[in-house]
Amino acid sequence: MSNKTTSTPAEVMPVYQSAEKIYPREMAGRYATFSRWSTVVLLGLFYLVPWLQYDDRQAVLFDLPARKFYLLGLTLWPQDFPFLALLLIIAAISLFFFTALLGRVWCGFACPQTVWTEAFIWMEQWTEGTRSQRMKLDKAPMSWNKFRRKFSKQFLWITFSLWTGYTFVGYFTPIREYGVELVNFQVGGWALFWTLFYGFATYGNAGYMREQVCKYMCPYARFQSAMFDRDTLIISYDESRGEPRGSRKRGVDYQARGLGDCIDCTLCVQVCPTGIDIRDGLQYECIACGACVDACNSVMDKMNYPRGLVRYTTEHAVTGEKTRIIRPRVIVYASLLTILVGSLVTAVALRTPVILDVLRDRNALYRELPSDLIENTYTIKLINQSNETREFVLTVDGLPGLELAGIPETILVEGGGVKSIPVRARMPRSEIRGSREIAFKATATDNPDVSRVAESRFVGPIG
Amino acid sequence: MASDEYRGARKWSRNRQAIAIVVWISFLTGAIGTMLFFAFFDPVDLTGIFDPDLEVSRDAGYAAGFFFFWVLAAVSSALTAWLVRTAPKRDAKKQQ
Repeated sequence: MSNKTTSTPAEVMPVYQSAEKIYPREMAGRYATFSRWSTVVLLGLFYLVPWLQYDDRQAVLFDLPARKFYLLGLTLWPQDFPFLALLLIIAAISLFFFTALLGRVWCGFACPQTVWTEAFIWMEQWTEGTRSQRMKLDKAPMSWNKFRRKFSKQFLWITFSLWTGYTFVGYFTPIREYGVELVNFQVGGWALFWTLFYGFATYGNAGYMREQVCKYMCPYARFQSAMFDRDTLIISYDESRGEPRGSRKRGVDYQARGLGDCIDCTLCVQVCPTGIDIRDGLQYECIACGACVDACNSVMDKMNYPRGLVRYTTEHAVTGEKTRIIRPRVIVYASLLTILVGSLVTAVALRTPVILDVLRDRNALYRELPSDLIENTYTIKLINQSNETREFVLTVDGLPGLELAGIPETILVEGGGVKSIPVRARMPRSEIRGSREIAFKATATDNPDVSRVAESRFVGPIG
Repeated sequence: MASDEYRGARKWSRNRQAIAIVVWISFLTGAIGTMLFFAFFDPVDLTGIFDPDLEVSRDAGYAAGFFFFWVLAAVSSALTAWLVRTAPKRDAKKQQ
């Protein structure tokens, strides 16, 4: 987009140089309020969820040491990995869907990078004050006041980061036990390592790198424009209304002097956390946080001009055309989402409560027993995916006279447990030639509907 | 001190950008690789394949796996970034 003014704001007022530290100015307004709420709610959920209990255990726990995932009443095992994959695909398509409709709302209000940065900026403001106070403090020589403020900030940041690391690890290892171990200095090395690792990452990302992460490191920021069309909500400067921009005294008939609504106060630039000028048009650095909208609206109010010179709108709306919400792109994303969510729900609902795996012993093809029997050995793995202890009966079928030997009448597997047992199957020599398919079946004693069949092979002499 | 403290928030040099991108993207790829790998293999089952006397706990196995995938992806990313950046420039005259 072209600049119609003869002087760019940077020449007029060097408030912002991209090579310098960005001191985003705090600005009250609709989007600032929304962002505050979204930070409180999302961070609140993050810090709270690992403490929730369900049935006397942690409600949400991805127990990596035990290789089990607990999600409320559901217990997932490594073999349920497809669910996780499906969930991730659903998350990705939801992101596409919301981006097509609402632009970068994810970036502005929900991304962990944004949310933690917001929290870190609050701590910075509590300890070091407003934007101008922070700039002055940084320029000032070291003094007791400066030391005290910087020290308080670091103390808050580091404490918060460590708590964040602790909470993060609490999603993967029982958080209450881990807390007790921490207090007693009995922590196993790796849990502590990951706590510090995640804590340090939070400290660096939210305290220092901030929106630089969005600018330089985020792949989504680079390709999000692929989901955009002229009906997508974006932050937009109304150029036809604002230009030519220029300063003026309040109450002056600026239109007579050939000026637009933009008074070139550069507040929109000062509040921008990525340091861009929204008046240059949509840029990939824009994370749609709405800070410039809040800033500009406050200025328009002061000038008694109508709000919305910078606003959340669509390209179609800016050019005076009609914005269509329902359009092919949105329909495609929405139907994909519906199908995927539907299949995930169905798959979880149809999940079998028992899994049976049969592994043929590879060391010996078969063994000939004195009584003209052929024997094959297997290792069976019985997984009870339900939460209650169950007994199972193991049977085998598929060849005449085939039977199991030396196994207990019932096999007890505790809730969520895995039992691995060696099994011998035998059959008369006369009935088997070469390799044949057989089927093992495990049936729960308390409910015959709870059963699972697993196929394997039985090998006999070829001749 | 103050200026050092804020270096992260300044506009990044090309090298800094490249390092940050390589580290971060390989971290993500490494995390996905780790997730996929350990969904199918239990670190405890894998111990002893290199050295029968070696006993590794699950935690250590996961960590080793993650760093392995991270470093592997970082090497790939770094080489890619380096080759792209040091590729011979096309001759503008020949193009015309």
